[in-house]
Amino acid sequence: MITWYLVYRIIVDDIIFYPPIYQFLIIPGLIAALLVALFIIWFERKAAAFVQMRYGPREIAPRIGGAIQLVADLTRYALQEIIIPETVDVLPYILSPIIMIILALLPLEAVPLTSIRTYFPIPPDYSLLIAVALSTLSPLFVVLMSWASNNKFAVVGGIRESFIITAYELIAVLGFLSAAAMTQSFNIVNIVNIQMSGKWLGLLNPIALLAVFIAVLMSTSGFPFEIPDSESELVAGPYTEYTGLLYGLNMGGGYIKRWVFSILIALVFLGGWAPYKPVPGIITGYFIPSLIVSIKALIVMAIMSFLRSVYGRYRVDQALGIAWEILIPLTLAAFGLGLAEAYFGII
Amino acid sequence: MESSTSGSVVPHLPGMEVSELSKNTYEVYIGPAHPGSGHMRIIVEVDGDIMVRVDPDIGFVHRTMEKLAEGRDWIKNIPLFERMAILDACNITLPYVEAVEKLLGTEPPERARYLRTLLCEINRIASHLYGMGIFGVFLGHSTLYMWAFGDREVFIDLAEQMSGARLTHSYPVFGGVRRDIPDDFPEGARKATRYMRNRLNEYAKIFLNNPNIRSRLENVGVMSKNLATELGIVGPNLRASGVRYDVRLNEPYEAYGELEFEIPVFEEGDSLARAWARVEEIRQSLNIIDKVVDWLEKHPRENFMHEKFWKTAPKLYKDVYTGQIDYAGKYRVKLMPLFASLKVPPGKAFARVEAGRGEMVYYVESDGKDVPYRVRVVSPSFRNVIAFKYLMPGHRLMDLPAIYGSFDYFPPEWDR
Repeated sequence: MITWYLVYRIIVDDIIFYPPIYQFLIIPGLIAALLVALFIIWFERKAAAFVQMRYGPREIAPRIGGAIQLVADLTRYALQEIIIPETVDVLPYILSPIIMIILALLPLEAVPLTSIRTYFPIPPDYSLLIAVALSTLSPLFVVLMSWASNNKFAVVGGIRESFIITAYELIAVLGFLSAAAMTQSFNIVNIVNIQMSGKWLGLLNPIALLAVFIAVLMSTSGFPFEIPDSESELVAGPYTEYTGLLYGLNMGGGYIKRWVFSILIALVFLGGWAPYKPVPGIITGYFIPSLIVSIKALIVMAIMSFLRSVYGRYRVDQALGIAWEILIPLTLAAFGLGLAEAYFGII
Repeated sequence: MESSTSGSVVPHLPGMEVSELSKNTYEVYIGPAHPGSGHMRIIVEVDGDIMVRVDPDIGFVHRTMEKLAEGRDWIKNIPLFERMAILDACNITLPYVEAVEKLLGTEPPERARYLRTLLCEINRIASHLYGMGIFGVFLGHSTLYMWAFGDREVFIDLAEQMSGARLTHSYPVFGGVRRDIPDDFPEGARKATRYMRNRLNEYAKIFLNNPNIRSRLENVGVMSKNLATELGIVGPNLRASGVRYDVRLNEPYEAYGELEFEIPVFEEGDSLARAWARVEEIRQSLNIIDKVVDWLEKHPRENFMHEKFWKTAPKLYKDVYTGQIDYAGKYRVKLMPLFASLKVPPGKAFARVEAGRGEMVYYVESDGKDVPYRVRVVSPSFRNVIAFKYLMPGHRLMDLPAIYGSFDYFPPEWDR
């Protein structure tokens, strides 16, 4: 009995709930991201269908409203032949979608999802800085992928992507760091603890939240900024030459990026696990807080997805104009507002 | 192209065009198999993000309709010409019917003229809604796409009630129309126009006044009055550039001379004005439908086919029409037998109408046989496509769908 108990403890404590594995693979990592993609894509299609006066997906599992449509799509992607054109640069062509997905998930390793010391994946002192820095890695591989594809549409899409990266990254970084200015701390645990009293940073500094929200839309080519893979002139942008599972990875990559950013927004601006105070114990100290953060992030994502049914897409120069001429001054103002609030002790 | 760079002589074949690429530009082929091109190819040379040369390359869905028409009976050409733009079928075939009527010397009865006008306007709305839906999806606005295509169904249903077919109506035939409207049609038509007026306001809210869409369309693809007349642009695109030209107004045909309606004219000439021109035209078409339906209701059910053809009608047809048998029930109403062996007197005739996308022109020549000697078709899209070459250069690549969509260009219509 004791040995079985030990095996159970090892599996649960040291494998499933071992923070780096738990956060990278389970919640909010790969498995949760897949479930979230399943839900969000379904929600996106159903919400758009509601606005557009039609049914949306319902052929697969009509009783639950076509909720597992994505499973069917993924099966198709997985079983489809992967065609590698002769003109591509094979190694970067195959590797870049995979590396992109892994790097996109990496910021989740840096953020703490509870205030209990045992369950920190890394020491959280500079976790905000590290997470934001890690989030800037994966877009580079979209550019690499477009270059490796050696297709005109892909190259144009890659160039647009690189323009957009330079525009949104500064906004996202400054926006997130205005939270550090408000709390004088890069430690996400501190930032969440300050918000425990109900004073969410998103409420105290809505400008920063708005700027980050738009920057995330830009980075994940959500509407109205679906520019690098704008279908009506660039087919699928950087992903034009991809087929089968690799194309599926690319499509999933966008959603994973958006998910990771949403987790960061939930932690920094929306109070993290705020109404709930983690108590020692795996379930109460780790599972429940991480679930709360995930649900908040899911709501953020749902709002982002809904914009699809309201907006068309901006032209690339207009999007860059919005970023450089409006959002960056706005983010600086948010940073200043954060400093002022910290100085006058509002926080 | 390769041979020109290596210094050897470029072979010049008839019909072949060779152009050298300049050093810093990049040539993108949009189409013919491309989600944003339709059945055509646009060869775009971009310098950075700016288009410097745009070459609309057409002819991918050419079906030799003019030649096919020379081998078919007169009546069988109506369903053939409908295939140019099935979403605008009545407008597309009407000038052919009118031209042949001129040769035959038969005038359609008054009721037939009103019925043709009715279906023409229903078709115009359906065609504009189709164009707006495609425009929406070009700009990534899936909601307008779904709304427009959903609301188009209302008018397709009306057309189906009139003619029995959703798209390929073959409704106007020589000497009149194929059949009359059912008794409950006016009620349904009024309901549809009421519904559509409300919907147009919602379209304006979500699409035309949406700041995102406005910023994409305003001052994009500006076509001045001069350029528009020089290039010979027709239809709503011309009226969006401030030229008051509409065949319905300049040379009234069918019942348009007796109806009151406005021709919406916009001065700006940009993509937004072209989109608004369509919306306003839908509004006017709704008014016309209301007026025509009122007229049809007030006037008794007189004949809708010229006497010359009507007297050859089968008994069943006459019985159905005079109400001795239930109207649109289980019986198939056939065409007049005279059409099968119709011989048109020799001569030349020309007719034009204002189709959904602009002026539609037919020139028909007969040598007295049962097939036409020559049918020449000039379709509105053929006259509009040249604008791409002159409007697009200087704009960014992302403006290509914004200009393309605003012209409501329909390749199968040009590529007859």
